Amino acid sequence: MASDRSHAHAPVDDGAVHAHISKAQFYWAIFGLLVVLTIITVKVSYYDFGSLNIVVALLIATIKASLVAAFFMHLRHDNLFNTIAFLSAFLFLSLFILLTYDDLGRRGQIDNDYGGTIQLDTGLAAPGGLPATSATANEASGEAAPRSAGGKGGGAEKKE
Amino acid sequence: MANVSEVVAGAPGSNGDHAHPHPDFLQHHFDTPAQQFAAAKLGMWVFIATEILMFGGLFCAYAIWRALEPDVFDQAHHFLNKILGATNTVVLLFSSLTAALAVRSAQLGKRTQTSIYLVVTIACACVFLVVKYFEYSHKIHLGLLPGHCFGHPGFSGAIQSGEETGTCLRIHADQPGGSPEWVRAVDEDGHVQLLSPRANMFFALYFVMTGLHGLHVLIGMTVLGWVLVKNIQGKFSTKYFTPVDLGALYWHLVDLVWIYLFPLLYLVGKPE
Repeated sequence: MASDRSHAHAPVDDGAVHAHISKAQFYWAIFGLLVVLTIITVKVSYYDFGSLNIVVALLIATIKASLVAAFFMHLRHDNLFNTIAFLSAFLFLSLFILLTYDDLGRRGQIDNDYGGTIQLDTGLAAPGGLPATSATANEASGEAAPRSAGGKGGGAEKKE
Repeated sequence: MANVSEVVAGAPGSNGDHAHPHPDFLQHHFDTPAQQFAAAKLGMWVFIATEILMFGGLFCAYAIWRALEPDVFDQAHHFLNKILGATNTVVLLFSSLTAALAVRSAQLGKRTQTSIYLVVTIACACVFLVVKYFEYSHKIHLGLLPGHCFGHPGFSGAIQSGEETGTCLRIHADQPGGSPEWVRAVDEDGHVQLLSPRANMFFALYFVMTGLHGLHVLIGMTVLGWVLVKNIQGKFSTKYFTPVDLGALYWHLVDLVWIYLFPLLYLVGKPE
């Protein structure tokens, strides 16, 4: 840290590149931390936190990505504007995903047996939703197939 | 135009109107090496942002399909080997470390050390691709490649009801086991699973996301190989190491993408 300050306060501008140089041991320490986090994320995946599974996994991934970006990619000691350029990608990515999700979320619910999205209140295909698989055509021809939960339990049950 | 080119041609290697010394590596449209370095870095970061947005389309598809079919994704992800995925994660993290150390050596002007670190980085990339090859061939052998067991039912004329196809088995609606049609396959833990025919979305995303990432690994290897050649030729110094820095930045991007791909594809879901 002390070296940072001396850099920041150095008034000399000879036009040469003055990059921050970290110690090799420091990079090894970051690598060690990244490996520990990888082990943690694998271990944690054997426990079920329900809907929080993805939150935990993405949280650990984000910590790892931040370490890589801040130190391996030198953002910590780089121009702030480069960090802004980098983070702007995530801003637009989140807009992309949230707006798409919001749009699709209003197009009915997925039909577990036949695919495609249906409106729960009517059971009809949702307008603008995903198309059903051709298996739906079999049902339309008369014989109504039994409904299942869609998981392996449902399938195995039917097998008996 | 003629005048301009005459002026430029008339001053080969000279500094034009610049008063300060102009080193070889400094392009004529930059005032100082520091300015050139800062511009190159900003350009690389903007490029990295566009790369994230390119992968973003796939991450968006993943988010939507996962939200629509959590059960199918949960079931299908058991067909990926966590241990192989974790091994590859550590291999890539280590290659990121050596890439960072290569930049550090270049900053300090240690040419041989830079070359060694670059070679180790490229070797790690090879290990990553070899592991990926075994994962891919295993999954293709199981018939999980979209198109084999997961063909559109309309095109499945050749596959008769219940006929064994490789190691996966399609069970059709007219059979007692089918509702309306399932794919039977053995997962990584040796359990026989009846996969929803819509699990193809998971495997399609798996192959496309890891495939695009694998392409980036190949490109990264090429870039680092080029940097290695230039380094051996002695093109870099403590004053000029921009290509080493930018090549490493690209390699770290490959690592960053994998840091997210690994948990999203291999880990997320209910444990058995």
